[in-house]
Amino acid sequence: MRHSDHNDILELIPAYALGALDAEEESTVRQHLTTCAACRQELSAYQGVVDLLPLAAPVEAPTPALKSRLMARVQTTPTKDTAADGSWWRRLQSALRALATGPRWRPVAFVAILALLVSNLLLWQQVSQPAERPSSWRRVFLAPTEAAPDATGVIYISADGRNGTLIVDRLPELGSDRQYQLWLIDDGQRVSGGVFSVPADGYTSVQIASAKPLRDFGAFGITIEPAGGSPGPTGERVLENNL
Amino acid sequence: MTLKQAGDADLLELIVQQNEAALAELYDRYSRLIFSVAMGVVGHRATAEEITLDVFVRVWEKADGYRARRAKVITWMTRIARNRAIDILRREEVRPLKHSVTWANVSPEPAADHNPVAAVERSLDSQRIRAALATLPEEQQEVLALAYFQGYTHRQIAEFLDLPLGTVKGRIRLGMQKLRRILEQ
Repeated sequence: MRHSDHNDILELIPAYALGALDAEEESTVRQHLTTCAACRQELSAYQGVVDLLPLAAPVEAPTPALKSRLMARVQTTPTKDTAADGSWWRRLQSALRALATGPRWRPVAFVAILALLVSNLLLWQQVSQPAERPSSWRRVFLAPTEAAPDATGVIYISADGRNGTLIVDRLPELGSDRQYQLWLIDDGQRVSGGVFSVPADGYTSVQIASAKPLRDFGAFGITIEPAGGSPGPTGERVLENNL
Repeated sequence: MTLKQAGDADLLELIVQQNEAALAELYDRYSRLIFSVAMGVVGHRATAEEITLDVFVRVWEKADGYRARRAKVITWMTRIARNRAIDILRREEVRPLKHSVTWANVSPEPAADHNPVAAVERSLDSQRIRAALATLPEEQQEVLALAYFQGYTHRQIAEFLDLPLGTVKGRIRLGMQKLRRILEQ
């Protein structure tokens, strides 16, 4: 392929990743991709952009009844591979029955049970692994005060130190006239990192808003403030951290 | 470790074993996102709910076909949702009005699940992509929304907006290039 053709196709890769090419152009690009590693790399980069676009869809919620419909549906819809023999528990029960009642199948049943035990042990080990986490993220735990002794909190700070999210759990739900406020503290100066409320279970997550990178702050605290927040902390402190 | 703390791929392993609680947990994590993508495409709540239901039933039936090395679970699911919704649009020739096809505001919703790592990761991704889209000129945001949510080709976008094809091609290319640049920073 000539260099100019390659460059023409390179320009079409972003639209190809979006699925926005006409059939003829799409076919030309697809053919070119089979022989051009550089364009495949480009495509992979743009595919990464397209894969994030769903997170920018305006947020809407389905009705609560949809979950009940789903669960009712799946109770009558077995998965492809397990349709014949059911869940591992059902398979184990059936293997045990075979062991008890069919001497001719006893060795087979024994092997089946052994295989099931091993596979379930492996699955359990997989589930017990911690979820994947980018190793470069920083995690800051917030300790409770006497005002909310059961509360816990953690701030995750992105790899570049700029953005972060606060997650709190078991904070008491407040009346409508009060809210929690996060304070970002640097050399004794406190700036607001966000105002939030929690539902009855005390759990929520909050995107931290800060003009300065979060890595520049030495400590964090959360206080109870009048609804809408205060210019500086005035109320009782419920979670805190000193780095 | 509880189901709420399990990773998405672990939940799929359990769904292959017909674990209904794992499916319920996956639904709690992603039903809003899947429904939002479907709504973004079809703009009709009842249809978007049917698409959401289809996506999770398909996960239930085809979880064993998921390959972790190809895409994250959520990417796999949102691709299914978008493709299915665009198929319906094309089949029924439903075309929402131009003004209804749009991107979300910059501030993301708080994450809805109790898995801190997954919630934070998704929340940061939402923040990044929304902030990146917000930096684009409106005309670039518009063509990208028409391509993503409506499945329009650049030729169809040019007809829809009554613009020269070259203009639409340029807007898509420049918009995508800028998003990539910002997201790679």
